[in-house]
Amino acid sequence: MSLFLASVGFGLVTAAVLAIAAVGFTMQFAVTDVLNLAYGAVMIASAFVAYALNQAGVDVWIAMLAAAAAGAAGSVLLNQGIYTPFQRRAASFSQSRAPITMVIVSLGMTLIIEFGLQAIVGGTNVSYTISQGPTVKAGGLILTTVQLVIIGLSVVIMAGVHVLLRYTKLGKAMRATAANRSLARNCGIRTDRVVTVTWALTGALCGIAGTVFAINNGSFGATSADLFLVVILAAVFLGGPGQAYGAMVGALLIGLATEISAAYINPSYKDVVAFVVLLVVMVARPGGVLGAAA
Amino acid sequence: MTSAQLFYAINLLIYAGVDIIACLGLSQQFGVAGVTNFAFIIFQAAGAYTAAILSLPSQSANGAFQSYVGGWNLPFPVPWIGAAIVGGLVAVPFTFLVGRRLRGDFAAVGLLVTAVMANLLVTNYRPLLNGAAGLSLVPAPLQGEYNPQSQGYQWLYAAVTLVLAGAVFLLVQRVTESPYGRSLRAMRDNDVVADSLGKNLLSLRAAMLVLGGALAGLSGAILVGFINLWAPSAWGYAETIVLFAAVIIGGAGNHRGAVLGAILVPVGFEEATRYIPPFGPPGLVDDLQWLAIGLLIVVSLWFRPQGVLPERRRLIGAGPPPGPAVRVPNDLVTLDGSRHAPDPDGAARDGSVVGAAGRPMTRSASSAAGPDADPVLRTVGLTRDFGGVRAVADVSIEVRRGTLTGLIGPNGAGKSTLLATLAGTLPATSGQVIYAGADVTGLPAYRRARLGLVRTFQLASEFKRLTVMENLLSAVPVNRGDSLAGALRGRRYWRRDEEAAIDRARALLDRFGLSGYADSYAGDLSGGQRRLTEIMRALMTEPAMLLLDEPMAGVHPRLARQIGAQLLGLCAEGMTILMVEHELAIMDEFCDPVIVMAEGAVLATGTMATLRARTEVVEAYLVG
Repeated sequence: MSLFLASVGFGLVTAAVLAIAAVGFTMQFAVTDVLNLAYGAVMIASAFVAYALNQAGVDVWIAMLAAAAAGAAGSVLLNQGIYTPFQRRAASFSQSRAPITMVIVSLGMTLIIEFGLQAIVGGTNVSYTISQGPTVKAGGLILTTVQLVIIGLSVVIMAGVHVLLRYTKLGKAMRATAANRSLARNCGIRTDRVVTVTWALTGALCGIAGTVFAINNGSFGATSADLFLVVILAAVFLGGPGQAYGAMVGALLIGLATEISAAYINPSYKDVVAFVVLLVVMVARPGGVLGAAA
Repeated sequence: MTSAQLFYAINLLIYAGVDIIACLGLSQQFGVAGVTNFAFIIFQAAGAYTAAILSLPSQSANGAFQSYVGGWNLPFPVPWIGAAIVGGLVAVPFTFLVGRRLRGDFAAVGLLVTAVMANLLVTNYRPLLNGAAGLSLVPAPLQGEYNPQSQGYQWLYAAVTLVLAGAVFLLVQRVTESPYGRSLRAMRDNDVVADSLGKNLLSLRAAMLVLGGALAGLSGAILVGFINLWAPSAWGYAETIVLFAAVIIGGAGNHRGAVLGAILVPVGFEEATRYIPPFGPPGLVDDLQWLAIGLLIVVSLWFRPQGVLPERRRLIGAGPPPGPAVRVPNDLVTLDGSRHAPDPDGAARDGSVVGAAGRPMTRSASSAAGPDADPVLRTVGLTRDFGGVRAVADVSIEVRRGTLTGLIGPNGAGKSTLLATLAGTLPATSGQVIYAGADVTGLPAYRRARLGLVRTFQLASEFKRLTVMENLLSAVPVNRGDSLAGALRGRRYWRRDEEAAIDRARALLDRFGLSGYADSYAGDLSGGQRRLTEIMRALMTEPAMLLLDEPMAGVHPRLARQIGAQLLGLCAEGMTILMVEHELAIMDEFCDPVIVMAEGAVLATGTMATLRARTEVVEAYLVG
């Protein structure tokens, strides 16, 4: 029983990290229709920005803000400098091929960012200097202070996303752009600006996700997010691509499922659970299982 | 040359052969059929492992220092053949990912993730294929009879590899340059439209996955027979990207480009960087290599998306001008009785002639047409919902044989959705579609098209990178070369069908005045010419009934009236047409009866004259 509860605790932490990452990924897809496979690479690159500051003596949680800024800047650059021009070009070349071209380009960008980073930071794994804080026991769950902070941070961010999408003009413009970009533009929404702001915000989420992922992982290297991207994709597709709320629920389910299964099977295979979920959802309900409800 | 240099040269040749075979497989899948198989490398891995465990002796006989299944110690060439078979079989479960329903980029991501996971599993599960350490001491082919270290053996190995690469080139070239290959390219350019013309996307894509998988498996077997070891590090997901880079840089859709790409990227690039003296910390050169592969893809997609050797245009040509004996118009607009549901009106079988393809063709007697004719298409309570929106609500209509029935209504009335539901592009939420007396509600679009119920699209839907002639030919329903088996049997097997189809296409082009554009890419035509191409393409399917979605939108009024007259001519010859159109003048002149839709439901049916007299119709639409 305690094994189960312990794995639930790990599951909640993983879900917290995953939710931040998945919401960012799915919102990028919502407004630009690009499956940004370089998302994991940007996450880790941002985590290394935080690492550089952390090495210089800055507290990790402060350094995380720099990672968020780096993620935002990087993502906007990626979208403005690479994806948008390619999308325009591909659409004029052949309408139905545009998404395929984009996914190939994003894979190329993954290699560029990931191995460019590895060329700079080297191939060995590093860790943040961070104090884990006292262990907290609550309701049978045993969590470190750091893990609690990660969960709290994720809850705050999810609440923030909710407020943004439901109650602000920007959030409404984002949803309108996601639903139908050309219609939104014709209704007077400055969609290009909305897209840029969305990529800045989701890029910040990406940077934060990278940092908490690195904290949660203990040690990390330039290619550490490769497998985590599979888990992100599983959460995103479970919730329905482009659905922010769906991604939150998907993250919770996938986070719990991977960690709880890790308690009972070989932990090396825990991501396989996410993979199986992803494939089943893709085949059975490509629009997402939770998508309609969200 | 010193023996070391010779050995290096042989090495290069073998690597080139292996990469050429792999790239040709990917070129067939991605460049020709548009299947973005990001898991390509695991098919090569499957082939290599298969060849290894087929040729290795059993674990214990091999010193028991590595663990693996199999170990059958089978003689050459069994391991190579087995590798190709397993490579093809491994592809079968993937076909559900690339079916009709999933977006191309989603399927690509699913395949990519599968490659990552397969590698993780094999790495971590040692009993299967010795885990991360991989299999070593894999026997070279015929190593009992010959010495694999001898130069003669190695030259022979290189020669066999290159011969196989040449054979594979001829194979994929034969498939691609056939009517079947044309269907693949049509699917690549626009899969929804190919579906509506009777192409079975699932079977086309499945065949390409299996063919490419078998080629990848063969390449893996050749590689492992030479290097004698195989481990998960050799087939990371990123290796697939190298092959993609090769195919894209060489020229997707052109197999010569794939060969060039294989020589430039996996061989040339990796060999050239071998001579860079190692600098910086360990691993830096490798990192920069991967970085450069990423850059190669992005930069070449930007500056030369068509590749070094672009897909070449297939010139079939306008040919000799059709003589006076040309079979217009009877031959164009005929009902193929054998293909369609039995005609309830036996009189329609009068005037049977032998068509160009040598099959009996039937021309409906015009007496069968008109308001008293039997309904070709009927719906009962047809409904289509999008989420909470009911786009088509309880529609029951009849379209009678030989009529040019109009369908009008304000924007958002559900006209295009109704058409899509009739054609099977969208499944109905409830209700029935009855075509030629049979319930076709559950049939997918391609099956309905094969029954003679063919649609066109509101937005231009030509296959952009097929010529106008090829667009027309792609729609021909019966061609012996339009199957993988038929394509493999070669041109001689399908030449007669092809020539007959070309004759029909030329006659159509002549009739619609586009003969001069036969060899132009459809993507380069003007809007009106594209609409004409689309109508001609639909006619090439020998439809019994056409569903036209605004065929005259954006067309010059004079041309629109010519199209209208052509359509009337077709109806007089027995064709049934249901046409969505906004231009009331067109409706007045050509359509009878006319169905009016508003807010998903049918408001009224009748001649334009009677409709104009009805106030609710006028309020809903006619005065805006």
